[in-house]
Amino acid sequence: MKRKLILCSALALGLVLAAWFAEALCPFDPYEQNFAAALQPPSWEHWFGTDRFGRDMLSRVIMGARVSIFSALILVGIISVTGTAIGVFCGCSRRADAVLMRLADICLAFPGMVFGLAVAAVLGGGIQNAVLALAAVSWPKYARIARSQTLAVKNADYIAAARLAGDSFWQVIGRHILPNIAGTILVTAMLDVGTMMMELAGFSFLGLGAQPPTADWGSMMSEGRSMLQLYPWVIFTPGIGIVLSVAIFHLLGETIRDHMDPKNRTGRRRE
Amino acid sequence: MKRRWIRRGVGAMLLAAVLAGCAGQAARESGEKDPPVRQEAVQEEKTLVFGDTTFNAENGESDINPHHDSGGWACIRYGVGETLFRFTDQMEIEPWLAESYERVDERTWRITLKEGISFTSGRIMDAEAVKECLEALVEANARAAGNLRLETVTAEGLTLTIGTKVPVPALLNDLADPYGCIYDVQAGVTEDGIVQGTGPYRAVALTTDTSLELVKNEQYWNGEPKIDRITVRTITDGDTLTVALQSGEIDVAYGMPYISYPLFENDRYTFTGCSTSRVIFGAMNFESAIMQDPAVRKAVSMGIDKEGFVETLLGGNGTPAAGPFPDTVSFGGDAVRAPAYDPEKAMQVLEEAGWTDTDGDGIREKDGTPLTIRWLTYPSRQEQPFLAEAAQAMLKTIGIRVEIQNTANHNQVRTDRSAWDIYVSTFVAAPTGDPEYFFAYHCLDRSGSNDGRYHSDRLESLAEEMEGTFDTDRRAELAQQMQQIILDDSAYIFFAHLRMNMISASNVTGLTAHPCDYYEITADLDIRE
Repeated sequence: MKRKLILCSALALGLVLAAWFAEALCPFDPYEQNFAAALQPPSWEHWFGTDRFGRDMLSRVIMGARVSIFSALILVGIISVTGTAIGVFCGCSRRADAVLMRLADICLAFPGMVFGLAVAAVLGGGIQNAVLALAAVSWPKYARIARSQTLAVKNADYIAAARLAGDSFWQVIGRHILPNIAGTILVTAMLDVGTMMMELAGFSFLGLGAQPPTADWGSMMSEGRSMLQLYPWVIFTPGIGIVLSVAIFHLLGETIRDHMDPKNRTGRRRE
Repeated sequence: MKRRWIRRGVGAMLLAAVLAGCAGQAARESGEKDPPVRQEAVQEEKTLVFGDTTFNAENGESDINPHHDSGGWACIRYGVGETLFRFTDQMEIEPWLAESYERVDERTWRITLKEGISFTSGRIMDAEAVKECLEALVEANARAAGNLRLETVTAEGLTLTIGTKVPVPALLNDLADPYGCIYDVQAGVTEDGIVQGTGPYRAVALTTDTSLELVKNEQYWNGEPKIDRITVRTITDGDTLTVALQSGEIDVAYGMPYISYPLFENDRYTFTGCSTSRVIFGAMNFESAIMQDPAVRKAVSMGIDKEGFVETLLGGNGTPAAGPFPDTVSFGGDAVRAPAYDPEKAMQVLEEAGWTDTDGDGIREKDGTPLTIRWLTYPSRQEQPFLAEAAQAMLKTIGIRVEIQNTANHNQVRTDRSAWDIYVSTFVAAPTGDPEYFFAYHCLDRSGSNDGRYHSDRLESLAEEMEGTFDTDRRAELAQQMQQIILDDSAYIFFAHLRMNMISASNVTGLTAHPCDYYEITADLDIRE
C-alpha cells in the first residue's frame, strides 16, 4: 500500500514538475510555425510529429501539460475550498443551510456539462472562463459532503467540551470540525483532479476553453479532429497526455483513499 | 501478477499508438475506404443525397426564397430556380430564360423570353410573371433594388421592357445574380420558404439547417432531369461531411475540408473544381485608433505570408490574391500591385512611425499603447481560423500582438466597431462577372457592408463614373484604378482566391463546378445504379 502511494505520488509530482518546467523541457518553441515542416509524421527530429502549422507536437504536448494540469488543479482548489466552506457553514447555521443548500440543489439539478457550457457561453471563451464555469457547477458536491460531515461531528462530545472551554463559533470550526472532515474532502479532491481535467479538455474541445494558439490538450485534440484518419499523431499525442494524467491522478486519489480508510489501517496493523 | 498486468497495459497502449500511426499512412497510400454503394438507393427510383456545409441560416440560406437574404444561392444551386441570364464558363453573360435582349437606350432594355417554359406550379412563364417577380424582388431585397434601380417594368406576351432610374450598365449581369431567380409569385412562398421556379427540380420539403427535398420537374423545358429524388443535407461540420461521403451516406459533398482531400484522391471518387472569385479578405476598421495609423495597416499587409498560407493551410487549393478579383477576369490578378510579404520592411515601417518595443516583451508600443490588433473572423469558413492563427504567429515576429475572436456571431459583432480592428471574411467578389459589385457592396460610403467605414474621395468619384459607363474596357480600367486605391490605402488585405471543389462518388456523373459557384444541381446530374 505504502509503495503504491509513493509510486503514484512520484508520478503525480513528476507530472506537475514537468508542467512547471515545461519551457525548459520543450525541444522546440511550441508556438513557432514552420510551414515547410507541416504535418510531418513522428521522426527522430520530431518525436510526436508536427501539426498543420509545422509546430513540434512534443513541445506542444509538454507545454499543454501546464495549462491542462494547472487549470485542473486550480479548479479543484477553488471548488473544494469554496464548497467546503459553504458546507461547513450550512452544517452549523440553519438559516444559511436553508438558503445555500437550495442554491446547491439548483446547481445539482442541471446536467453539469450543459450548465457549464451555458455559463461559458455567457462569460465567453478562454481557459479562465472555463474554470469559472465549471467551478460554478461543481462546488455543491463539496458543500454536500462537508455539510453532512459537519452535521455528523458537530454534536460530538469533544465539540461540546470545546464550547464549554470557551471556544468561539469560528474557533470550533477551525480547530475541531475542519480537521475532522479534511480527510474526506482531500480524497474527493484528489479523485476529482482527473475528472476536472477531462471536463476542461471537453470544454476546450468544444472551443470554449483555451483559445488558439495556447497549447492545451483539449483544444489540440479539437484542432486535430479533421486529421484523425490521415495524420493521427496530431490528435493522438495530446490524447495520450490526457489519458496518462487522468489515470495518474485517479490512481493517486484511490490510493490516498485506501490509505486513509480505517479498515485498511487496521488490516495493516494486524499484518 | 500486478507487474504483468502493468506490462500488458503499457504494451496495449503502445500497440494502439503504432496502429493509429500506421492507419493514416495506409489509408493515404492505398486509398482504401470504399464508398459503400447506398443499398437503399434506387430500387425503383433514382435518388441522390447532396451534402453541403453552406446551406444554413448562418450563411443567409435559411430557405430557398431568392428574395430573402442569400436564399437565391440555394434556389439556383439546387436546381429550383433559373435566371433570365446566366454565365458561361468564361464568365460571359448569355441568355437563359431569356431568348434575346436589346438595349433600346441607356436606361431601357427590351428582353424577349423563351417560349414554352412553365413554373413547377404549372403556370406559364411569360413577361407578366417575370414582371411580378422582379417587382417583388426590388420591394423585398434592398441589395437588388440598389443594383437594378428599376423604374418601370412593362410586360407584353413574352416581351419584357425594363426602364431604369439611371443608366445601369451591368443590368444583365445583375439579373443573373441568384436573387434574380424567377419564380411564380402568384403561387407564393410557403411557410418554410419554398418557391415554384422553372428549374429541373421542384422543392417539396425544407427544414432550415437540416435538409431540402427535391423531386424531378417532369415538365422541365431544357431536357429531362435524370434523378427522381434528391435530398440536400445540411452538414455544417467538415469532418462529419468527410465521414458521410466515406460511408456512402451522401453521394456528393460540397465544402469538404482541404485536409481531407487525400482520402478521396482515388478512383472511387470524382473531383470537379475550378478557380472562383471567392476571396478571403480583411477589412481594416477606420474607426479604430490603431488602424487609423497608415503604418500599422501597411505593416499588417506586408507581414502576412499569403503564399505560405495557400500552399500549406489551403493545400494549394487557391491562389494568393493581390486584389479582390482573380486572374480569370481582365481587371484581376496581376493587374494591380499589393504590398509584397516583407517582414523586414514591415518592421522598418513601424519603426519609422514610432512603434518600438520599449519593454522588451516582443510587442511594440507607442505612447504607452501596445500594438495589439483584434482579429474578428468566423468558423463556418474552415480556412479562416487557420489564417487567423497563422497571421497571429507571423505578425508577432514583427512586433504586433493579434487577439483572435473567432465567433459564429460575427455578423452582430462586426456592427460594433469598437470591438474589432480587422474583420476577415470570405466573399465572392465578382459573382456577376462585373467589377462594380464588389466596390458597391464593400468600399463606398453607400455600401451596406463597408464594415470598417473606409472612405476615399477618389474612389467615390471613380465609382460614380463606373456607374454610368457601358464600355467594358473602360469599366475594366476603372476597376484597376479603384483596386489600386484601396490597396495603396491598405484599407483591405486580400489573402487568397479559393478553388471550389465538389467531390462525388464515382457513380455520379454530370456534376461540373462553375467559376461563379452558382450552378450545381442541373438536368445533367445523374447517378449510376
